[in-house]
Amino acid sequence: MARMRKDYETSWWPRLRRWIDAGASPLDDALEKALDETREGHQVLSQEEAAEREERAEARQRLDRAREARMYARFREWRQQKGRRWANMLYRLLAVTVCLAIIWVLLETAAYLPPFGHADNPAHNEVSRRYIEDGMTETGAVNIVAGMILDYRAFDTLGESNVLFIAACAVIILLRLPDARDGSGHTAALLEAEADDRMYEPKNDAILQATARLLTPFILMFGLYVMFYGHISPGGGFSGGAIMGAGLILYLNAFGFKKAERFFTYTTFRVISVAALSFYAGSKAYSFFTGANGLHSFITPGTPGRIFSAGLIPYLNIAVGFVVCCTMYAFYTLFRKGDL
Amino acid sequence: MGEFLRFFLAAVLTLGGLAVLISGVFGVFRFRYALNRIHAAALNDTVGIALTLLGVIVAEGLSPIGIRLALVAVFLWATSPVASHLLGRLEITANDELSENMNVTDEKAVLREKEGK
Repeated sequence: MARMRKDYETSWWPRLRRWIDAGASPLDDALEKALDETREGHQVLSQEEAAEREERAEARQRLDRAREARMYARFREWRQQKGRRWANMLYRLLAVTVCLAIIWVLLETAAYLPPFGHADNPAHNEVSRRYIEDGMTETGAVNIVAGMILDYRAFDTLGESNVLFIAACAVIILLRLPDARDGSGHTAALLEAEADDRMYEPKNDAILQATARLLTPFILMFGLYVMFYGHISPGGGFSGGAIMGAGLILYLNAFGFKKAERFFTYTTFRVISVAALSFYAGSKAYSFFTGANGLHSFITPGTPGRIFSAGLIPYLNIAVGFVVCCTMYAFYTLFRKGDL
Repeated sequence: MGEFLRFFLAAVLTLGGLAVLISGVFGVFRFRYALNRIHAAALNDTVGIALTLLGVIVAEGLSPIGIRLALVAVFLWATSPVASHLLGRLEITANDELSENMNVTDEKAVLREKEGK
């Protein structure tokens, strides 16, 4: 139930309602008149009369109730037999219609698309020409895609990373068990959730553990490589972060929560995500500010192809990658046991 | 001539891999029980992928891309049997009516009998 504010009576909505109600409705008038009439012709009823009236009223009520019950029964019957058929038919009809409509709209749209790979397509305008021709000298990134998403359109990528972060926050709000919040760790609800989760799970599988012990370092290393070389070769923060997150999930599956919690807890998630996003926002704010005002910036494209080049791009890749990695791992653990 | 031989070898290997993959896919849909399906899928994961990648490696030669493809093959060979193993173990753990689908021997009892007395 909603709580009422203290000054509710003086706020605008009740005042408006009172103002509207102040004009009496004709119905109220009629009711008042009827009441007055009965009051004028007021008389004491004898007991027989009262009993007779009561009986009449009860009979009327019974009749009404029976009629209502019949109506409901008829309605229920209709709903279960004829109505169900109708609803099914309507449903099928609508489903087919909607599908056909969507197919028609999509085909119509596809018919108006420009031919693939044609030189005169609207996508081949001065923007993409600029990206392809001047992208490397302007951003210092050999990988044009990295130059686009982390330099020309860095604001957009900041939004994307924040979307990931917000999604993780929403999952934490929805799925994190209340006991997990005080940080004491192994409360009854948490242990129960974990036991429930691992009931059918093969526990401490030796083959999986041996494989994970061998592979996890390489997976993490490969993820870091994809992240660090995002401005030179295909890859970047999003893919590298996804690879690292997958490696962490493999480790967690092989060795269980107890070992994974030694290096990745809720605090780790919080610190890494917030630090990476703040770094992204701060550094890009500096770059935007100096760029827009024509000031001298210490961020330079450098020599394309070197690992320390392309200005902010490698660092932004790392920030994005860590956010993606943390988000993936957090999703997985939250869905499995309601805590990180 | 060498170039043609190489192309021929690569084509044979890739086509052989594709044939194995196709039979594996048919097996996955044809079999009705989880463990049988694992058996069919394991063909894909090991022989099919190995032959296909080997064909691409032969076509590519000992370039960085070829080496990376070899690493991909090693990675898949290391991981997919583990995945099959986990699936099988999960089936054994979760299926209560295991004896309806297969012959179940109590291994410990067999061992005891062998060692026994």
